[in-house]
Amino acid sequence: MARKTSKNFFKSARPAKQMLDPEFQFTRRALVAGGTAGALWLGLIGRFYQLQILNGDEYRRFAEENRIRLDLAPPQRGQILDRFGRPLASHRSAGRISIIREQAGDVESVLQSISKLIDLPEERQQRILRDAMRQASFLPTLVARELTYEDFARMKLHAAQLPGVEVEMGLTRSYPRGRDFAHVLGYVAKASQRDLTRLTDGMTASEATQASRLYRHPDMRTGRSGIEYVCDSWLTGRPGQKRVVTNAAGRIIEQLDSADLAPQAGQDVVITIDAELQRAVIERFGEESGAAVVMDVETGAILALVSTPAFDPNDFVNGISQADYDVLRGNDRSPLYHKAFDGMYPPGSTFKMVVATAALEAGVIDPRERVYCSGRYRFGNRTWACWKHGGHGSMDMRNAIKNSCDTYFYEVSQRMGIDKLAETARKFGFGNTWNIGLTGGAHGVVPDDAWKRETRGEPWYEGETLNVGIGQGYLSVTPLQLALMCARIARGGGVITPNLIHSGPQIDPGEDTQQPLEPEFIQRMQDGMFAVTGEWGGTARRSGDLGLGGVFMAGKTGTAQVRHITQAERNRGVISNDNLARHLRDHALFVGYAPHDAPKYAVAVVVEHGGGGSAVAAPVARDILAEAIRRDSRREPTVHQTASTGGTGQGAL
Amino acid sequence: MGGASYTAPRSGTAFSRPGISAKLAAVPWTLVLLIAGVALAGTGMLFSITYDKPAEAGLPIAHLIRFGIAFVVMMVLAMVPLSVWSRLALPAYLVSLILLFAVELAGSVRGGAQRWLEIGPLAIQPSEFMKLALVLVLARYYHLAQAREGGGFMVHIPAAVLMLLPAALIFLQPDFGTTLTLLAAGGIIIFLAGLDWRFIATGIAVGVLSAPLIYNYALEDYQRGRVDIFLEQIVGHSSDALGDGYQIEQAKIAIGSGGLRGKGYLNGTQSQLDYIPEQHTDFVLTVIAEELGFFGVTGLLLAWGVILGWGLYIAMKCSSAFGRYAASGAVGMVAFYIVFNVGMVVGLLPVVGVPMPLVSYGGTAMLTVMSAFGLVLSVHIHRRETISRTGLL
Repeated sequence: MARKTSKNFFKSARPAKQMLDPEFQFTRRALVAGGTAGALWLGLIGRFYQLQILNGDEYRRFAEENRIRLDLAPPQRGQILDRFGRPLASHRSAGRISIIREQAGDVESVLQSISKLIDLPEERQQRILRDAMRQASFLPTLVARELTYEDFARMKLHAAQLPGVEVEMGLTRSYPRGRDFAHVLGYVAKASQRDLTRLTDGMTASEATQASRLYRHPDMRTGRSGIEYVCDSWLTGRPGQKRVVTNAAGRIIEQLDSADLAPQAGQDVVITIDAELQRAVIERFGEESGAAVVMDVETGAILALVSTPAFDPNDFVNGISQADYDVLRGNDRSPLYHKAFDGMYPPGSTFKMVVATAALEAGVIDPRERVYCSGRYRFGNRTWACWKHGGHGSMDMRNAIKNSCDTYFYEVSQRMGIDKLAETARKFGFGNTWNIGLTGGAHGVVPDDAWKRETRGEPWYEGETLNVGIGQGYLSVTPLQLALMCARIARGGGVITPNLIHSGPQIDPGEDTQQPLEPEFIQRMQDGMFAVTGEWGGTARRSGDLGLGGVFMAGKTGTAQVRHITQAERNRGVISNDNLARHLRDHALFVGYAPHDAPKYAVAVVVEHGGGGSAVAAPVARDILAEAIRRDSRREPTVHQTASTGGTGQGAL
Repeated sequence: MGGASYTAPRSGTAFSRPGISAKLAAVPWTLVLLIAGVALAGTGMLFSITYDKPAEAGLPIAHLIRFGIAFVVMMVLAMVPLSVWSRLALPAYLVSLILLFAVELAGSVRGGAQRWLEIGPLAIQPSEFMKLALVLVLARYYHLAQAREGGGFMVHIPAAVLMLLPAALIFLQPDFGTTLTLLAAGGIIIFLAGLDWRFIATGIAVGVLSAPLIYNYALEDYQRGRVDIFLEQIVGHSSDALGDGYQIEQAKIAIGSGGLRGKGYLNGTQSQLDYIPEQHTDFVLTVIAEELGFFGVTGLLLAWGVILGWGLYIAMKCSSAFGRYAASGAVGMVAFYIVFNVGMVVGLLPVVGVPMPLVSYGGTAMLTVMSAFGLVLSVHIHRRETISRTGLL
């Protein structure tokens, strides 16, 4: 490192042979080292003298005249496509005006000039001025976005006379199918301070500075929920840099292209949903609020995931106003809430296949054994009512499912007890959630003795088992879990992993409590479910035929009580839903699959406060299944990479 | 150097151990003030770069807080007797070495290199510990070696091994800057311990003579291109102002345009407009050069010259060999930081990530440098202490 003078070299070569006093030698060498360092110091100062004094004028000219600067170039965000390559989240270009305080000088008067060209109200000008003062003087402040073509052209023409004003085309995230995919895709927004803290976690200080600079770019967005959030890093891509030549004030004069610094576009995500089926399901719901899940029974692919009503994610991309947000929040049909994935409902009678399977697994009843239903069931000193006031008479398992006889299920659940019932429910996948690529996800509740002691601090009472036996009580499930249960019955009992992402980042599905179920028992459930829709007297006989020429569905109705029914009401008998306020009416549920003899699709439908499952939910499910079969929604995904997102599929994340 | 000094007690005479107040009286406060002055100047420059950038507004305060913590560490270390430093040398070295191996096996990658070891919420960089540990272990080694052998060429071989082992591990991370720091700090101690001039001369000669051979025969075309660009910009302007030369050319524009007096505090156009990457860390000197001019830069270099010269003087005045080597190694390490940082910023040396001590933003370097000064201060306070020449390394 240190260069020694030849003088020193000759002087000290000789005495090295003889022994030196170490302290004296140290001092001598330290002086040599110090002298060398001093020489280096002088050299460095000399270099500054050269750069700053001798060549100072030249560099000052460089600095003032023509400068090359590295600007961040944000990557184009990857698209989200449906299983047939239809864009669900993409981007559109929109004209945008921004102003750089430092270059504009008098920001106020420049804004005045702009307002003569485009509509820019006084209070908006004040706000831009405030925004501009609040951030660094060299950073652009947004003046207007989403310009009409005329405004854009006019601004472009006059931009040269407006100091510090930039008129450019920017890319905005857009959701061409609006509300249809609100809960699935989620939405993107400008990164907030909280987002930045999360996104820069684990970075070094300078990386974090770079990242926060990137996220301040007007084109940059970050996923806030749904797939946009979960697949964010996959979709984001890698920022590049563009080299720009600027003048003294920093205005860009010329842009220099170089391929090695070009941003790398984010990669596309393909999901398993058929967007047209999704549309049809939403249309079928009409004004009703609720949820529906359609699943391919072979692959577990989710073909439709509907929660209605929904919000329009396009409103969130540029920040939603507080007033609009309050309207969404205040809506009693909760459009912000993902009912299919986060919603927890009592399954009602749709749960009876689980109870019947549990009873067979526990061996507490023979399927041919008959239980007599008088319309009332006594246990302890209390009475439980069957939905059919006059009673069903004597019922075996098949008929109990067909007629949805509550008494039969009170009896078998009382025989096996809650713990056995809960165990089978968990084997079906209840009480679990899957990381399918969405934010949120409810587990629901599969109650048992241990659960109750833990959450309520009380032991389980046997009477409560009867409520769970007809899908009520503490039990709650999500529509996704119901669809999975139905798909598994259709498939004959094997384990199915629900999935939503067809191609995209690897997602760990998380823990799964599912276990294979005995095919012989499941066969009986299929049989019972077909009796519901295919036999005279079944609770959904009218909905069985899909109207496709001999294609039938098998299914099960359910009606879930929302309100607590007092003993007095119980004694008085069932109150008609029509006489109740909407929010007190029962939820209508239906699970079904089709075709009944060679199942392809399973569906779960929840119509919130819809009334009876048979009258309201079953026809919806029938139409959905018919539509799926007509569309052949489960056929192999055909995805063509679109040209707009070059650089996809490179496997780099 | 009149001030109070602390003479080591013979073992067992604990009552003669002077208190903290006596030691504090022995601290060379002018030197401490100079060190604090440099760190405050750094804070001021960081403020200039960040004051109108809300996302980075916390940097100067964070810098100051880190300096405060590091200052306390320095003062505490200054109170530690040399005998304790000497006893801790080998354990510190071994622990650092083990941690370096651990990083190699289980370290986490940040910014492309494997340097950090995460233990719960703590993220530590063992290579930083190794810098001081190497200085201590070499000082101890020569302290003992001189007692036994007193010279010869072979005596330097174990020292070289002690230095090269961690250097190789850090080189693999890869962290070129820290590798060079270790080699420089260790090399200075070996040089001061009397490495034969003939060996040094031979080394320099081989280096100078082989450079053209390596250039012509060992390098690939693109590597030769880089060397060309580098040599070219030392004398003139880089012809590759958009490629590798971008950063260095921008740094030179910022420095050169500062002139004699600079453009004034907070008024550097190049610095304020973000032309220079890494300007609050490794390239902070460009901001000083642009805003405070030749006067500002020379002032900073002179301040460092006084601090380091003072440190070297402390080393020469110490009665124990251990103290002499330890202080000079610590001083040499900081000097190396400065030479390499300045050389890099002005385009005389290739760009390796070495920060400007106490001025660049960054916590680990700050702590390392202040600990080094803590060692130097301790050598001054305990300069009359006798250190046992017995025992294993």
